[in-house]
Amino acid sequence: MEPWVVATGLIVLYLALTVVLGFVANRRMTGDMEDFLLYGRKAGFVVLYLTVVASFHSSFAFLGSGGFFYTHGVGFWAAGTWTLLVGAITYVIGSRIWALGKAFGYMTPADMLADFYESEAVRVTVAVVSVVFTILYIQVQAQGLGYIINIASGERISLEVGTLVLLIVAAVYLMAGGLRAVYWTDVLQGVWMYIAVWVGALVLSYELFGGPLELWRAVAEQRPDLLSLPGPKGFFTPGMWIGMTITLSFGIVFQPHMMIRYYTAIDGKTIKLLGATTPIYLMTLYIPTAMVGLGGAIVMPGLVGAEADRIFPELLFAYANPWLTGVILAGATAAAMSTLDSILHANMTVLTRDVYQRFIRPNESQGHYINVGRAIVVALLVVAYMLSVGRFDYLVVLVTLSGAGALQLMPAILGVCFPGGRTLTRAGVLAGIAAGLVTLYVTLVVWPHPIGMHGGLWGLLVNTAVALNVSVFTTPPSAETIQRVHGEVERFVYGTED
Amino acid sequence: MSDNAPRRSHFVPRTRDGRVATIAFLALLLLAMPPVSHTVLNRTDPWIFGLPFFYVALLGVYSALILVLIWAFRRGV
Repeated sequence: MEPWVVATGLIVLYLALTVVLGFVANRRMTGDMEDFLLYGRKAGFVVLYLTVVASFHSSFAFLGSGGFFYTHGVGFWAAGTWTLLVGAITYVIGSRIWALGKAFGYMTPADMLADFYESEAVRVTVAVVSVVFTILYIQVQAQGLGYIINIASGERISLEVGTLVLLIVAAVYLMAGGLRAVYWTDVLQGVWMYIAVWVGALVLSYELFGGPLELWRAVAEQRPDLLSLPGPKGFFTPGMWIGMTITLSFGIVFQPHMMIRYYTAIDGKTIKLLGATTPIYLMTLYIPTAMVGLGGAIVMPGLVGAEADRIFPELLFAYANPWLTGVILAGATAAAMSTLDSILHANMTVLTRDVYQRFIRPNESQGHYINVGRAIVVALLVVAYMLSVGRFDYLVVLVTLSGAGALQLMPAILGVCFPGGRTLTRAGVLAGIAAGLVTLYVTLVVWPHPIGMHGGLWGLLVNTAVALNVSVFTTPPSAETIQRVHGEVERFVYGTED
Repeated sequence: MSDNAPRRSHFVPRTRDGRVATIAFLALLLLAMPPVSHTVLNRTDPWIFGLPFFYVALLGVYSALILVLIWAFRRGV
Protein backbone atom coordinates (compact mmCIF):
# COMPACT_ATOMS: atom_id res chain seq x y z
CA MET A 1 0.00 0.00 0.00
CA GLU A 2 1.31 3.47 -0.85
CA PRO A 3 2.45 5.65 2.05
CA TRP A 4 -0.05 8.46 1.32
CA VAL A 5 -2.98 6.01 1.42
CA VAL A 6 -1.89 4.68 4.81
CA ALA A 7 -1.25 8.17 6.21
CA THR A 8 -4.53 9.63 4.96
CA GLY A 9 -6.48 6.51 5.99
CA LEU A 10 -5.19 6.67 9.57
CA ILE A 11 -6.05 10.38 9.83
CA VAL A 12 -9.58 9.63 8.59
CA LEU A 13 -9.86 6.81 11.15
CA TYR A 14 -8.74 9.18 13.88
CA LEU A 15 -11.28 11.82 12.79
CA ALA A 16 -14.06 9.22 12.79
CA LEU A 17 -13.13 8.29 16.36
CA THR A 18 -13.43 11.92 17.52
CA VAL A 19 -16.89 12.26 15.94
CA VAL A 20 -18.05 9.04 17.64
CA LEU A 21 -16.80 10.38 20.97
CA GLY A 22 -18.70 13.63 20.33
CA PHE A 23 -21.98 11.80 19.87
CA VAL A 24 -21.40 9.55 22.88
CA ALA A 25 -20.79 12.71 24.91
CA ASN A 26 -24.05 14.12 23.54
CA ARG A 27 -25.97 11.22 25.10
CA ARG A 28 -24.56 12.15 28.53
CA MET A 29 -25.64 15.80 28.33
CA THR A 30 -28.16 17.09 30.87
CA GLY A 31 -29.39 20.10 28.88
CA ASP A 32 -27.94 22.44 31.47
CA MET A 33 -25.76 25.39 30.38
CA GLU A 34 -23.05 24.63 32.94
CA ASP A 35 -22.97 21.06 31.70
CA PHE A 36 -22.61 22.14 28.06
CA LEU A 37 -20.12 24.95 28.65
CA LEU A 38 -18.23 23.78 31.76
CA TYR A 39 -18.55 19.96 31.91
CA GLY A 40 -20.85 20.54 34.89
CA ARG A 41 -17.75 21.59 36.92
CA LYS A 42 -17.06 17.88 37.45
CA ALA A 43 -13.80 17.26 35.58
CA GLY A 44 -11.58 14.77 37.41
CA PHE A 45 -7.80 14.68 37.39
CA VAL A 46 -7.10 12.39 34.41
CA VAL A 47 -9.52 14.09 32.03
CA LEU A 48 -8.46 17.57 33.13
CA TYR A 49 -4.78 16.68 32.91
CA LEU A 50 -4.99 15.42 29.35
CA THR A 51 -7.22 18.25 28.13
CA VAL A 52 -4.92 20.90 29.63
CA VAL A 53 -1.72 19.45 28.16
CA ALA A 54 -3.36 18.71 24.80
CA SER A 55 -4.76 22.24 24.59
CA PHE A 56 -1.45 23.82 25.64
CA HIS A 57 0.55 21.95 23.02
CA SER A 58 -0.71 22.90 19.60
CA SER A 59 0.55 22.05 16.13
CA PHE A 60 3.42 24.39 16.95
CA ALA A 61 4.75 21.98 19.58
CA PHE A 62 4.53 19.11 17.13
CA LEU A 63 5.93 20.81 14.02
CA GLY A 64 7.15 24.30 14.89
CA SER A 65 9.32 23.34 17.86
CA GLY A 66 11.29 20.89 15.67
CA GLY A 67 11.79 23.76 13.24
CA PHE A 68 12.97 26.00 16.07
CA PHE A 69 15.59 23.45 17.22
CA TYR A 70 16.58 22.97 13.57
CA THR A 71 17.14 26.70 13.00
CA HIS A 72 18.19 28.10 16.38
CA GLY A 73 19.66 25.08 18.13
CA VAL A 74 19.44 23.87 21.70
CA GLY A 75 18.36 27.31 22.96
CA PHE A 76 14.76 26.23 22.43
CA TRP A 77 15.29 23.98 25.45
CA ALA A 78 14.30 27.20 27.26
CA ALA A 79 10.82 25.79 26.64
CA GLY A 80 11.31 23.87 29.88
CA THR A 81 11.22 27.11 31.87
CA TRP A 82 7.84 28.21 30.58
CA THR A 83 6.28 24.76 30.91
CA LEU A 84 7.46 24.68 34.54
CA LEU A 85 6.00 28.14 35.13
CA VAL A 86 2.68 26.97 33.66
CA GLY A 87 2.61 24.33 36.39
CA ALA A 88 3.38 26.83 39.14
CA ILE A 89 0.83 29.35 37.83
CA THR A 90 -1.82 26.65 37.69
CA TYR A 91 -0.96 25.61 41.25
CA VAL A 92 -1.02 29.10 42.75
CA ILE A 93 -3.38 31.16 40.57
CA GLY A 94 -5.43 28.45 38.85
CA SER A 95 -6.61 27.05 42.17
CA ARG A 96 -7.77 30.53 43.27
CA ILE A 97 -9.61 31.04 39.98
CA TRP A 98 -11.32 27.68 40.56
CA ALA A 99 -12.37 28.70 44.09
CA LEU A 100 -13.85 32.01 42.92
CA GLY A 101 -15.61 30.35 39.99
CA LYS A 102 -17.17 27.78 42.29
CA ALA A 103 -18.23 30.37 44.86
CA PHE A 104 -19.69 32.98 42.49
CA GLY A 105 -20.69 30.92 39.42
CA TYR A 106 -18.17 32.45 37.02
CA MET A 107 -18.00 30.83 33.58
CA THR A 108 -15.58 33.11 31.72
CA PRO A 109 -12.53 35.25 32.58
CA ALA A 110 -14.68 38.35 31.98
CA ASP A 111 -17.23 37.13 34.57
CA MET A 112 -14.58 37.22 37.30
CA LEU A 113 -12.96 40.52 36.32
CA ALA A 114 -16.25 42.37 35.72
CA ASP A 115 -17.58 41.22 39.09
CA PHE A 116 -14.54 42.31 41.07
CA TYR A 117 -13.95 45.61 39.27
CA GLU A 118 -17.72 46.28 39.13
CA SER A 119 -17.59 47.29 35.50
CA GLU A 120 -19.34 46.18 32.33
CA ALA A 121 -16.63 48.07 30.40
CA VAL A 122 -14.11 45.68 31.91
CA ARG A 123 -16.34 42.75 30.86
CA VAL A 124 -16.55 43.95 27.26
CA THR A 125 -12.83 44.77 27.06
CA VAL A 126 -11.79 41.38 28.43
CA ALA A 127 -14.27 39.57 26.16
CA VAL A 128 -12.97 41.44 23.10
CA VAL A 129 -9.32 40.78 24.00
CA SER A 130 -10.19 37.11 24.63
CA VAL A 131 -11.95 36.61 21.30
CA VAL A 132 -9.80 38.76 19.01
CA PHE A 133 -6.49 37.35 20.13
CA THR A 134 -7.56 33.72 20.28
CA ILE A 135 -9.52 33.63 17.03
CA LEU A 136 -6.15 34.14 15.39
CA TYR A 137 -5.02 30.89 16.98
CA ILE A 138 -8.01 29.18 15.36
CA GLN A 139 -6.71 30.40 12.04
CA VAL A 140 -3.16 29.21 12.81
CA GLN A 141 -4.36 25.75 13.93
CA ALA A 142 -6.74 25.41 10.97
CA GLN A 143 -3.95 26.23 8.55
CA GLY A 144 -1.73 23.70 10.35
CA LEU A 145 -4.41 21.04 9.98
CA GLY A 146 -4.84 21.75 6.28
CA TYR A 147 -1.11 21.58 5.84
CA ILE A 148 -0.83 18.22 7.67
CA ILE A 149 -3.54 16.53 5.61
CA ASN A 150 -2.10 18.11 2.48
CA ILE A 151 1.33 16.54 3.01
CA ALA A 152 -0.11 13.26 4.39
CA SER A 153 -2.07 12.81 1.16
CA GLY A 154 0.91 13.63 -1.01
CA GLU A 155 -0.80 16.92 -2.00
CA ARG A 156 -3.81 15.02 -3.40
CA ILE A 157 -6.09 16.77 -0.90
CA SER A 158 -5.70 20.54 -1.23
CA LEU A 159 -4.93 22.73 1.75
CA GLU A 160 -8.35 24.41 1.41
CA VAL A 161 -10.32 21.14 1.38
CA GLY A 162 -8.25 19.65 4.20
CA THR A 163 -8.79 22.73 6.37
CA LEU A 164 -12.54 22.72 5.72
CA VAL A 165 -12.98 19.01 6.51
CA LEU A 166 -11.05 19.20 9.76
CA LEU A 167 -12.79 22.40 10.90
CA ILE A 168 -16.17 20.78 10.24
CA VAL A 169 -15.20 17.66 12.22
CA ALA A 170 -14.11 19.76 15.22
CA ALA A 171 -17.28 21.87 15.04
CA VAL A 172 -19.53 18.79 14.76
CA TYR A 173 -18.29 17.08 17.91
CA LEU A 174 -18.21 20.39 19.79
CA MET A 175 -21.82 21.19 18.87
CA ALA A 176 -22.90 17.64 19.66
CA GLY A 177 -21.35 17.20 23.08
CA GLY A 178 -20.14 20.63 24.25
CA LEU A 179 -17.13 20.75 26.53
CA ARG A 180 -17.61 17.09 27.50
CA ALA A 181 -16.94 16.12 23.86
CA VAL A 182 -13.92 18.43 23.75
CA TYR A 183 -12.52 16.88 26.94
CA TRP A 184 -13.08 13.29 25.82
CA THR A 185 -11.50 13.87 22.43
CA ASP A 186 -8.64 15.72 24.15
CA VAL A 187 -7.96 12.59 26.22
CA LEU A 188 -7.54 10.62 23.00
CA GLN A 189 -5.55 13.44 21.41
CA GLY A 190 -3.26 13.98 24.42
CA VAL A 191 -2.26 10.32 24.60
CA TRP A 192 -1.91 9.89 20.83
CA MET A 193 0.16 13.06 20.42
CA TYR A 194 2.63 12.19 23.19
CA ILE A 195 3.23 8.62 22.04
CA ALA A 196 3.48 9.69 18.40
CA VAL A 197 6.19 12.31 19.02
CA TRP A 198 8.29 10.02 21.19
CA VAL A 199 8.01 6.97 18.94
CA GLY A 200 8.67 9.01 15.80
CA ALA A 201 11.75 10.70 17.24
CA LEU A 202 13.23 7.47 18.63
CA VAL A 203 12.62 5.53 15.43
CA LEU A 204 14.25 8.27 13.35
CA SER A 205 17.23 8.55 15.71
CA TYR A 206 17.91 4.80 15.49
CA GLU A 207 17.27 4.71 11.75
CA LEU A 208 19.53 7.66 10.93
CA PHE A 209 22.19 7.71 13.66
CA GLY A 210 22.07 4.38 15.51
CA GLY A 211 20.39 5.88 18.61
CA PRO A 212 19.72 9.13 20.50
CA LEU A 213 23.22 9.37 22.03
CA GLU A 214 24.84 8.90 18.62
CA LEU A 215 22.55 11.64 17.30
CA TRP A 216 23.83 14.09 19.93
CA ARG A 217 27.42 13.11 19.15
CA ALA A 218 26.88 13.72 15.44
CA VAL A 219 25.44 17.17 16.16
CA ALA A 220 28.47 18.03 18.33
CA GLU A 221 30.85 16.97 15.56
CA GLN A 222 29.08 18.49 12.57
CA ARG A 223 27.08 21.44 13.93
CA PRO A 224 28.56 22.52 17.30
CA ASP A 225 27.03 25.97 16.75
CA LEU A 226 23.62 24.39 17.46
CA LEU A 227 24.64 23.36 20.97
CA SER A 228 25.32 26.73 22.59
CA LEU A 229 23.59 30.05 23.23
CA PRO A 230 22.50 32.35 21.65
CA GLY A 231 22.44 29.89 18.71
CA PRO A 232 23.60 30.13 15.06
CA LYS A 233 21.47 33.20 14.30
CA GLY A 234 21.90 34.87 17.69
CA PHE A 235 18.18 34.47 18.50
CA PHE A 236 18.30 33.30 22.12
CA THR A 237 19.62 36.44 23.81
CA PRO A 238 19.03 36.79 27.58
CA GLY A 239 16.16 39.23 26.94
CA MET A 240 14.50 36.88 24.48
CA TRP A 241 14.89 33.94 26.89
CA ILE A 242 13.22 35.85 29.75
CA GLY A 243 10.56 37.35 27.48
CA MET A 244 9.56 34.02 25.94
CA THR A 245 9.44 32.43 29.40
CA ILE A 246 7.01 35.05 30.73
CA THR A 247 4.95 35.44 27.55
CA LEU A 248 4.50 31.75 26.82
CA SER A 249 3.61 30.85 30.40
CA PHE A 250 1.38 33.62 31.80
CA GLY A 251 0.29 34.62 28.27
CA ILE A 252 -1.07 31.17 27.44
CA VAL A 253 -2.50 30.39 30.88
CA PHE A 254 -4.55 33.62 30.80
CA GLN A 255 -6.09 32.80 27.44
CA PRO A 256 -9.80 31.99 27.89
CA HIS A 257 -9.58 28.34 26.86
CA MET A 258 -7.05 27.68 29.64
CA MET A 259 -8.78 29.78 32.32
CA ILE A 260 -12.14 28.17 31.60
CA ARG A 261 -10.52 24.79 32.27
CA TYR A 262 -9.76 25.87 35.84
CA TYR A 263 -13.47 26.53 36.45
CA THR A 264 -14.34 22.98 35.39
CA ALA A 265 -12.34 21.04 38.00
CA ILE A 266 -14.25 18.95 40.47
CA ASP A 267 -12.28 20.42 43.41
CA GLY A 268 -9.33 22.66 44.30
CA LYS A 269 -7.05 19.74 45.12
CA THR A 270 -7.41 18.49 41.54
CA ILE A 271 -6.19 21.85 40.23
CA LYS A 272 -3.18 21.81 42.56
CA LEU A 273 -2.25 18.26 41.55
CA LEU A 274 -2.66 19.37 37.95
CA GLY A 275 -0.21 22.23 38.54
CA ALA A 276 2.30 19.97 40.23
CA THR A 277 2.33 17.38 37.47
CA THR A 278 1.50 18.99 34.09
CA PRO A 279 5.13 20.11 33.56
CA ILE A 280 6.11 16.42 33.37
CA TYR A 281 4.14 16.03 30.13
CA LEU A 282 4.67 19.56 28.82
CA MET A 283 8.44 19.65 29.33
CA THR A 284 9.27 16.10 28.27
CA LEU A 285 7.49 16.57 24.93
CA TYR A 286 10.36 18.87 23.93
CA ILE A 287 12.95 16.10 24.42
CA PRO A 288 11.94 14.17 21.26
CA THR A 289 11.32 17.36 19.26
CA ALA A 290 14.90 18.40 20.09
CA MET A 291 16.13 15.12 18.63
CA VAL A 292 14.03 15.65 15.50
CA GLY A 293 15.15 19.24 14.96
CA LEU A 294 18.84 18.81 15.73
CA GLY A 295 19.08 15.47 13.92
CA GLY A 296 17.23 16.96 10.98
CA ALA A 297 19.79 19.76 10.73
CA ILE A 298 22.44 17.08 10.11
CA VAL A 299 20.46 14.86 7.73
CA MET A 300 18.52 17.50 5.77
CA PRO A 301 20.47 20.77 5.98
CA GLY A 302 19.50 23.95 4.18
CA LEU A 303 15.79 24.29 5.04
CA VAL A 304 14.81 27.86 5.95
CA GLY A 305 11.74 29.55 7.47
CA ALA A 306 8.51 27.59 7.05
CA GLU A 307 10.44 24.81 5.30
CA ALA A 308 12.27 24.10 8.55
CA ASP A 309 8.91 23.52 10.31
CA ARG A 310 8.34 20.59 7.94
CA ILE A 311 11.42 18.75 9.14
CA PHE A 312 9.48 16.11 11.12
CA PRO A 313 7.10 14.99 8.31
CA GLU A 314 9.88 15.32 5.74
CA LEU A 315 12.10 12.93 7.74
CA LEU A 316 9.20 10.53 8.29
CA PHE A 317 8.29 10.33 4.61
CA ALA A 318 11.93 9.88 3.67
CA TYR A 319 13.03 7.35 6.29
CA ALA A 320 10.12 5.83 8.27
CA ASN A 321 7.64 3.01 7.65
CA PRO A 322 4.40 4.31 6.01
CA TRP A 323 2.22 2.96 8.82
CA LEU A 324 4.31 4.69 11.43
CA THR A 325 4.26 7.88 9.38
CA GLY A 326 0.46 7.72 9.26
CA VAL A 327 0.13 7.17 13.01
CA ILE A 328 2.47 10.07 13.72
CA LEU A 329 0.76 12.47 11.31
CA ALA A 330 -2.54 11.57 12.94
CA GLY A 331 -0.77 12.59 16.17
CA ALA A 332 0.08 15.94 14.57
CA THR A 333 -3.58 16.29 13.60
CA ALA A 334 -4.48 15.56 17.23
CA ALA A 335 -2.11 18.28 18.45
CA ALA A 336 -3.73 20.90 16.25
CA MET A 337 -7.33 19.76 16.74
CA SER A 338 -7.10 19.64 20.53
CA THR A 339 -6.10 23.31 20.58
CA LEU A 340 -8.54 24.29 17.85
CA ASP A 341 -11.59 22.73 19.52
CA SER A 342 -10.67 24.27 22.88
CA ILE A 343 -10.41 27.75 21.40
CA LEU A 344 -13.63 27.31 19.42
CA HIS A 345 -15.34 26.30 22.66
CA ALA A 346 -13.83 29.20 24.64
CA ASN A 347 -14.88 31.77 22.06
CA MET A 348 -18.35 30.25 21.93
CA THR A 349 -18.59 30.47 25.74
CA VAL A 350 -17.37 34.07 25.86
CA LEU A 351 -19.72 35.23 23.09
CA THR A 352 -22.71 33.34 24.49
CA ARG A 353 -22.18 34.32 28.11
CA ASP A 354 -20.51 37.74 28.00
CA VAL A 355 -22.26 39.17 24.96
CA TYR A 356 -25.51 37.36 24.11
CA GLN A 357 -26.76 36.45 27.58
CA ARG A 358 -25.54 39.68 29.16
CA PHE A 359 -26.53 42.29 26.60
CA ILE A 360 -28.92 40.80 24.02
CA ARG A 361 -31.33 38.23 25.59
CA PRO A 362 -30.69 38.01 29.36
CA ASN A 363 -33.67 35.90 30.47
CA GLU A 364 -33.92 32.95 28.15
CA SER A 365 -33.96 29.22 28.94
CA GLN A 366 -30.81 27.10 29.33
CA GLY A 367 -31.64 25.23 26.12
CA HIS A 368 -31.92 28.54 24.25
CA TYR A 369 -28.38 29.54 25.22
CA ILE A 370 -27.02 26.11 24.28
CA ASN A 371 -28.55 26.44 20.81
CA VAL A 372 -27.19 29.98 20.47
CA GLY A 373 -23.77 28.61 21.43
CA ARG A 374 -24.07 26.02 18.64
CA ALA A 375 -24.99 28.73 16.15
CA ILE A 376 -21.97 30.75 17.28
CA VAL A 377 -19.74 27.73 16.59
CA VAL A 378 -21.01 27.68 12.99
CA ALA A 379 -20.27 31.40 12.65
CA LEU A 380 -16.78 30.92 14.11
CA LEU A 381 -16.24 28.05 11.71
CA VAL A 382 -17.02 30.29 8.73
CA VAL A 383 -14.76 33.09 10.02
CA ALA A 384 -11.93 30.66 10.80
CA TYR A 385 -12.18 29.08 7.35
CA MET A 386 -12.12 32.43 5.58
CA LEU A 387 -9.12 33.55 7.64
CA SER A 388 -7.38 30.24 7.00
CA VAL A 389 -7.67 30.10 3.23
CA GLY A 390 -7.33 33.84 2.64
CA ARG A 391 -3.88 35.32 2.49
CA PHE A 392 -4.32 38.71 4.08
CA ASP A 393 -1.16 40.65 4.84
CA TYR A 394 -2.58 42.10 8.04
CA LEU A 395 -3.00 38.62 9.48
CA VAL A 396 0.74 38.26 9.78
CA VAL A 397 0.70 41.32 12.00
CA LEU A 398 -2.23 40.08 14.06
CA VAL A 399 -0.78 36.62 14.56
CA THR A 400 2.44 38.22 15.78
CA LEU A 401 0.40 40.16 18.32
CA SER A 402 -1.80 37.26 19.42
CA GLY A 403 0.73 35.35 21.52
CA ALA A 404 1.21 38.19 23.98
CA GLY A 405 -2.36 39.55 23.93
CA ALA A 406 -3.79 37.60 26.87
CA LEU A 407 -0.69 38.47 28.91
CA GLN A 408 -2.15 41.97 29.20
CA LEU A 409 -4.87 40.58 31.50
CA MET A 410 -2.25 39.62 34.07
CA PRO A 411 -2.31 42.73 36.36
CA ALA A 412 -6.11 42.63 36.51
CA ILE A 413 -6.17 38.90 37.33
CA LEU A 414 -3.50 39.22 40.01
CA GLY A 415 -5.52 42.09 41.52
CA VAL A 416 -8.46 39.72 41.97
CA CYS A 417 -6.58 36.61 43.09
CA PHE A 418 -4.00 38.14 45.45
CA PRO A 419 -5.42 40.12 48.36
CA GLY A 420 -3.21 42.45 50.31
CA GLY A 421 -1.42 44.24 47.50
CA ARG A 422 -2.48 47.52 45.98
CA THR A 423 -6.10 47.24 44.86
CA LEU A 424 -6.45 48.19 41.22
CA THR A 425 -9.44 50.19 40.00
CA ARG A 426 -11.61 49.66 36.92
CA ALA A 427 -10.08 52.78 35.32
CA GLY A 428 -6.59 51.53 36.14
CA VAL A 429 -7.28 48.11 34.65
CA LEU A 430 -8.79 49.55 31.45
CA ALA A 431 -6.00 52.11 31.00
CA GLY A 432 -3.38 49.43 31.68
CA ILE A 433 -4.80 47.02 29.10
CA ALA A 434 -5.05 49.81 26.49
CA ALA A 435 -1.47 50.96 27.13
CA GLY A 436 -0.23 47.36 27.10
CA LEU A 437 -1.84 46.61 23.75
CA VAL A 438 -0.45 49.77 22.15
CA THR A 439 3.01 48.96 23.51
CA LEU A 440 2.64 45.42 22.22
CA TYR A 441 1.94 46.67 18.71
CA VAL A 442 4.97 48.95 18.80
CA THR A 443 7.38 46.40 20.29
CA LEU A 444 6.29 43.44 18.18
CA VAL A 445 5.52 45.10 14.85
CA VAL A 446 6.97 48.61 14.50
CA TRP A 447 10.21 48.05 16.43
CA PRO A 448 10.40 44.31 17.17
CA HIS A 449 11.82 43.32 20.55
CA PRO A 450 13.67 46.57 21.51
CA ILE A 451 17.11 46.05 23.09
CA GLY A 452 16.70 42.29 22.71
CA MET A 453 13.74 41.97 25.11
CA HIS A 454 10.53 40.26 23.95
CA GLY A 455 7.71 42.66 23.01
CA GLY A 456 5.23 40.85 25.25
CA LEU A 457 7.31 41.77 28.28
CA TRP A 458 7.47 45.44 27.24
CA GLY A 459 3.68 45.45 26.96
CA LEU A 460 3.29 43.89 30.40
CA LEU A 461 5.69 46.37 32.04
CA VAL A 462 3.92 49.42 30.59
CA ASN A 463 0.50 47.91 31.36
CA THR A 464 1.42 47.30 35.02
CA ALA A 465 2.93 50.76 35.49
CA VAL A 466 -0.11 52.51 33.96
CA ALA A 467 -2.61 50.34 35.89
CA LEU A 468 -0.91 51.05 39.23
CA ASN A 469 -0.56 54.80 38.64
CA VAL A 470 -4.08 55.37 37.31
CA SER A 471 -5.44 53.36 40.26
CA VAL A 472 -3.92 55.87 42.68
CA PHE A 473 -6.27 58.61 41.45
CA THR A 474 -9.46 56.69 40.64
CA THR A 475 -12.30 55.00 42.49
CA PRO A 476 -11.68 51.44 43.73
CA PRO A 477 -14.28 48.66 43.83
CA SER A 478 -16.65 48.88 46.79
CA ALA A 479 -15.47 47.66 50.19
CA GLU A 480 -18.23 45.05 50.13
CA THR A 481 -17.03 43.54 46.83
CA ILE A 482 -13.39 43.53 47.87
CA GLN A 483 -14.30 41.85 51.15
CA ARG A 484 -16.55 39.31 49.42
CA VAL A 485 -14.04 38.28 46.72
CA HIS A 486 -10.80 38.59 48.68
CA GLY A 487 -12.49 37.01 51.69
CA GLU A 488 -13.32 33.97 49.54
CA VAL A 489 -9.68 33.74 48.40
CA GLU A 490 -8.57 34.01 52.04
CA ARG A 491 -10.95 31.22 53.06
CA PHE A 492 -9.79 28.97 50.22
CA VAL A 493 -6.06 29.45 50.77
CA TYR A 494 -5.85 29.71 54.56
CA GLY A 495 -9.22 28.45 55.75
CA THR A 496 -10.05 31.71 57.55
CA GLU A 497 -11.44 35.13 56.75
CA ASP A 498 -8.91 37.88 57.43
CA MET B 1 -6.56 52.95 45.77
CA SER B 2 -8.32 51.14 48.58
CA ASP B 3 -7.36 50.13 52.07
CA ASN B 4 -10.32 47.78 52.38
CA ALA B 5 -8.43 44.69 51.28
CA PRO B 6 -7.45 42.05 53.85
CA ARG B 7 -4.40 43.39 55.66
CA ARG B 8 -2.27 40.25 55.36
CA SER B 9 -0.74 39.99 51.92
CA HIS B 10 -1.04 36.87 49.78
CA PHE B 11 2.18 37.77 47.99
CA VAL B 12 4.24 36.51 50.94
CA PRO B 13 3.70 32.89 52.09
CA ARG B 14 2.56 32.58 55.70
CA THR B 15 3.46 28.98 56.48
CA ARG B 16 6.92 27.43 56.80
CA ASP B 17 6.23 24.93 54.01
CA GLY B 18 4.94 27.73 51.81
CA ARG B 19 8.11 29.73 52.34
CA VAL B 20 10.35 26.71 51.68
CA ALA B 21 8.48 25.83 48.47
CA THR B 22 8.47 29.43 47.19
CA ILE B 23 12.15 30.05 47.90
CA ALA B 24 13.22 26.68 46.47
CA PHE B 25 11.15 27.17 43.31
CA LEU B 26 12.39 30.72 42.69
CA ALA B 27 16.03 29.81 43.43
CA LEU B 28 15.91 26.85 41.04
CA LEU B 29 14.16 28.93 38.39
CA LEU B 30 16.96 31.50 38.60
CA LEU B 31 19.41 28.70 37.75
CA ALA B 32 17.54 28.18 34.48
CA MET B 33 17.41 31.88 33.59
CA PRO B 34 19.95 34.45 32.38
CA PRO B 35 22.63 35.21 33.36
CA VAL B 36 23.26 31.64 34.64
CA SER B 37 21.84 29.98 31.50
CA HIS B 38 24.01 32.12 29.22
CA THR B 39 27.26 31.87 31.22
CA VAL B 40 27.74 29.03 33.70
CA LEU B 41 25.52 26.54 31.83
CA ASN B 42 26.42 27.64 28.31
CA ARG B 43 28.93 24.93 27.41
CA THR B 44 28.85 21.46 25.91
CA ASP B 45 31.62 19.88 28.04
CA PRO B 46 31.64 17.77 30.09
CA TRP B 47 29.30 15.27 28.47
CA ILE B 48 27.03 13.59 31.00
CA PHE B 49 25.41 10.23 30.18
CA GLY B 50 26.32 10.87 26.54
CA LEU B 51 24.59 14.25 26.44
CA PRO B 52 26.01 17.81 26.42
CA PHE B 53 26.34 19.64 29.74
CA PHE B 54 23.93 22.49 28.89
CA TYR B 55 21.13 20.07 28.03
CA VAL B 56 21.60 17.80 31.04
CA ALA B 57 22.07 20.66 33.51
CA LEU B 58 18.79 22.27 32.47
CA LEU B 59 17.03 18.90 32.51
CA GLY B 60 18.29 18.49 36.08
CA VAL B 61 16.99 21.93 37.09
CA TYR B 62 13.61 21.27 35.44
CA SER B 63 13.30 17.92 37.21
CA ALA B 64 14.12 19.57 40.55
CA LEU B 65 11.45 22.22 39.91
CA ILE B 66 8.86 19.50 39.30
CA LEU B 67 9.91 17.81 42.55
CA VAL B 68 9.40 21.09 44.43
CA LEU B 69 5.85 21.38 43.05
CA ILE B 70 5.07 17.77 43.98
CA TRP B 71 6.58 18.28 47.45
CA ALA B 72 4.41 21.39 47.93
CA PHE B 73 1.34 19.40 46.93
CA ARG B 74 2.14 16.57 49.32
CA ARG B 75 2.68 19.05 52.15
CA GLY B 76 -0.65 20.73 51.44
CA VAL B 77 0.85 24.14 50.59
